[in-house]
Amino acid sequence: MLISTAFFGVSFAQKKAVNPGKRMLVVKRGLYQPFFITGNNKPVEVKAFKLAETAVTNAEFLEFVKSNPEWRRSKVNRLFADINYLKHWDNDLSIGKSNQNIYNSPVVNVSWFAAQAYSKWKNKRLPTVAEWEYAGLGTPKNIKQSSLTDYILDWYKKPNLPVLPNIKTTYQNAYGLYDMHGLIWEWTFNFNSYITTADSRGNNSDDQQMFCAAGSLNVADKEDYAGYLRFSYRGSLKGNYCIANLGFRCAESIN
Amino acid sequence: MKAYILLLILITMLYSCTDGIPSVKTASQTVLSPAKPVKGSCCKAPKKAELSRIPSESIFTLNDTFTTQNNAQIKLSSLMNKPTVVGMIFTHCTYACPRLTSDIKSIYKNMGSKKDQVNYVLISFDTERDSPERLKEFAKEMGLDSNWTLLRGSEQSVRTLSVLLNVQYEKDLEGNFSHSNLVSVLDSKGVLKFQKEGLGADHNETLNILQKFVQ
Repeated sequence: MLISTAFFGVSFAQKKAVNPGKRMLVVKRGLYQPFFITGNNKPVEVKAFKLAETAVTNAEFLEFVKSNPEWRRSKVNRLFADINYLKHWDNDLSIGKSNQNIYNSPVVNVSWFAAQAYSKWKNKRLPTVAEWEYAGLGTPKNIKQSSLTDYILDWYKKPNLPVLPNIKTTYQNAYGLYDMHGLIWEWTFNFNSYITTADSRGNNSDDQQMFCAAGSLNVADKEDYAGYLRFSYRGSLKGNYCIANLGFRCAESIN
Repeated sequence: MKAYILLLILITMLYSCTDGIPSVKTASQTVLSPAKPVKGSCCKAPKKAELSRIPSESIFTLNDTFTTQNNAQIKLSSLMNKPTVVGMIFTHCTYACPRLTSDIKSIYKNMGSKKDQVNYVLISFDTERDSPERLKEFAKEMGLDSNWTLLRGSEQSVRTLSVLLNVQYEKDLEGNFSHSNLVSVLDSKGVLKFQKEGLGADHNETLNILQKFVQ
């Protein structure tokens, strides 16, 4: 952490420091049971890695856009971000005075390519699906619901709020991560992962995946309706989509 | 709720292929050597003036470097000036990928006298095992001539390309890949113009489009 801070201090000396206090928290090595049950249903090892304490905010993303003109709203390549890119900002280089209450809210309406470019600029990367899901399972510290799944489903039930709340306004989990659920959906590096490892030669599991009722028997935890929704959501995305409740946070490998 | 179920149906459309076969002895990570001049029809670096004419929606705007079966490092813009047929595969795949390759081969054959006016490109998911040497071996096994370019790249580059080409893939515990099977056609400037999904698919439309491009 110290090293990376020092690195940014040097390479972006002339530019305004981007929230140098952004904490990267260690998520210890563990086993993650993929959501969809596959031929050899072994849990996947998730190596220890670091994940940002919170999602990237509008204010932080603005610094990126200022330093990288090709990512301004008026200049961005449509191949890499659709017409909804940063549509909630006033203009290219201003979130807007009337939007002051979202400076510290997660940036949304950003594409996968934009999230990738931001992460690269910060010398970081996006978490993989397995890393994100594993970290997202961290036990909540302060929720009133009896389980994380209930908490998530309560959130999914609610319509999007007219103004997206700030970071750190939901719950913190056992890893110290904020808002893993309850605020926004987040991009992952391999969001376009194929969701089944069905072997199409012999069995008919491909067919099973075609139908909800049959497919649902093949998920790791039938009760995990929330997980089911997340995997469905990811599978419906394309890399240039910009959506009003979809943002991201950065990850870092530990060597 | 209904919308979510619909979503799930949409995303669980027909894809295929993972080999249940344990991975063959893995080639050690390839050390990339400096670019060498390449024989064959593709892969001359385009001139500056040509690069400036790349439209913004072109996949050639991707600046990543890939390595060919001849161990040359190229950018996708090297494929400029000819239409390109692309498939994403991995060479240890025993079922879908040889079939996808055969599908593209039959496109190649059906182009007849104009077959040299098209680039045929295979890009590997397998950043670990598909070294340039392994790609070359695969080209030989499959009988692919110098009109074919087989590429490997970093995990980041291959993932980015897969996102641009709408190809889904996932590595399994044995190091094999589940993936969608798509044949894509790019025009001579790298703009994605047509895609056909499936193995043994009817490629008449693919051929019609290519014929128009090479006229």
